[in-house]
Amino acid sequence: MFKRNRTPRPWSPGLLVLFLLTAVPLVAGLGYALLYSLGLVGLLREGFTLQHWGAVLGSMVFWKSLTFSIYLATASMALAIMLALQLVLRWRDTWQSGWLSYGIYLPLTFPAMVVAFLVFQWFTGAGWFARLAYHVGLLQDVDQFPAMVNDPWGLGILLAHAAMATPFFAIFFGQLYAAEGLANYAQLAASLGASERQVRRRILIPVLLRRASPTLILYFVFVLGSYEIPLLLGSQSPQMISVLAIRKLQRFNLQDIPQAYVICLVYAALVLVVTPMLLRRFRMKAHE
Amino acid sequence: MNKETGSIWGKPGQWLVGALLLFPFGYLILLSWGQNWHFPDILPAVWTTANWASLVGGDTGLGRSLVLSLGLSTGVALVATGLSFWVARAVAYSPHRERWLWLAYSPYLLAPVLLAACWQYFFLVINSSGRISGVFLAQLLIAFPFGVILFTSFWTPRVRAMEHLVYTLGGNSRQVWQRVVWPLARTPLLVGFFQTYLLSWFEYGLTSLIGVSKVQTLTVRVFQYVTEANSYLAGVASLLLVLPPVLLLWVNKRIIFR
Repeated sequence: MFKRNRTPRPWSPGLLVLFLLTAVPLVAGLGYALLYSLGLVGLLREGFTLQHWGAVLGSMVFWKSLTFSIYLATASMALAIMLALQLVLRWRDTWQSGWLSYGIYLPLTFPAMVVAFLVFQWFTGAGWFARLAYHVGLLQDVDQFPAMVNDPWGLGILLAHAAMATPFFAIFFGQLYAAEGLANYAQLAASLGASERQVRRRILIPVLLRRASPTLILYFVFVLGSYEIPLLLGSQSPQMISVLAIRKLQRFNLQDIPQAYVICLVYAALVLVVTPMLLRRFRMKAHE
Repeated sequence: MNKETGSIWGKPGQWLVGALLLFPFGYLILLSWGQNWHFPDILPAVWTTANWASLVGGDTGLGRSLVLSLGLSTGVALVATGLSFWVARAVAYSPHRERWLWLAYSPYLLAPVLLAACWQYFFLVINSSGRISGVFLAQLLIAFPFGVILFTSFWTPRVRAMEHLVYTLGGNSRQVWQRVVWPLARTPLLVGFFQTYLLSWFEYGLTSLIGVSKVQTLTVRVFQYVTEANSYLAGVASLLLVLPPVLLLWVNKRIIFR
């Protein structure tokens, strides 16, 4: 139990458990991946080599995949943030009262796999919305429905992620709106002659985005590394980074395994270096 | 600013938002009770209980997956909640709190599925790959740091001051737990249990990789049914996946909205 006046020392048992269950698996996993990618361990060990790193970093497939992942994370986040801001700043009364104040939490009960399945069901050529369009006379054939699933632009992935993120951000922005007392600022600005548009653009949106920035960055990283949704809704090329890495890992060609580890390591380096920098920068801004 | 906060839609707006929120549930219900639902039909051509009957009979394995998912998630949530609650205290009162918290965040930054790819070898070595025990351990390695992040905010200077007060008044550590920590922690522990439960319940990438598709949780089943083009069973499995979180939300409602 908790001992009298005990302040955990730099290495208390609790911290040791955290170290063993978090740092050790992390270092072991990334260390193994590094050694495998350098040809030092694994089925294909051939002594130190940089050929797998060269193969990945010199391949357009990898860079396309990374760009595609960043594009989808940015686009789906932008769409979700815009919709959530709209919900909070314009239509708050519509969903923050009555049963909808509980109902807005319902989309959060859907796992990514089910969201992907639903988007797949609704937006394929023979999907539910294509059927609806057929019945209202907007299309005569399955092929006329715009490709939104397994398409090269990742529209289905974008839609699925935006659908998952919008209610989450709406709830989050709504709580920030109340916690920061933004209604008072808005009222003050309005009484000083600011128009509704000015209040939204100059006060409410900047404050909400600034305060929410750490969460937005973490969510961006979550979307960047997402797996289930692009696995079900993505095309063969380009693939999101997680899908590319796992497909390389599971291929019959053993030469692809070290490349899968290189992709994991590059991604790990990217998020472990860039995310703290961004968080530090935005956290400072959030508290300005 | 009333106009801005927008009752511009009034009741019709509420109905529209409500319909949007409920539509996915309705669609899954239709799928789970339907058969022969082909283009361009808006509704299934045949209504049947066969999809749901496969839960208890037949060789679909859906019932087994349900029991497995329930057991796995409950186990992971219980261990992760208990362990992380204790560890979070050490983190919260540590002089290097931020560093430890950063460590707890790392599995999420790296994407669990990519971590699973790097861990595969070690699970093979300890003979846990493709086994429930392996998936349990892998999910625990993801759920535990999440619990630590969640519970660190519970251990505030106020809680610590109250602990010290009990000691000053002659109480022992058991009384600190009974009189101070437990009454304060009951609700956060419940929330933490629900959150870690859902983390395990929703998990797919890590589970399929460490379980090498032999440990067939409900999320693994949904993917399997979708790739087999069996939308009806995928609908049943999806509803089964969604129902417990809805139930937890309903139970949790008062806690969330407090």
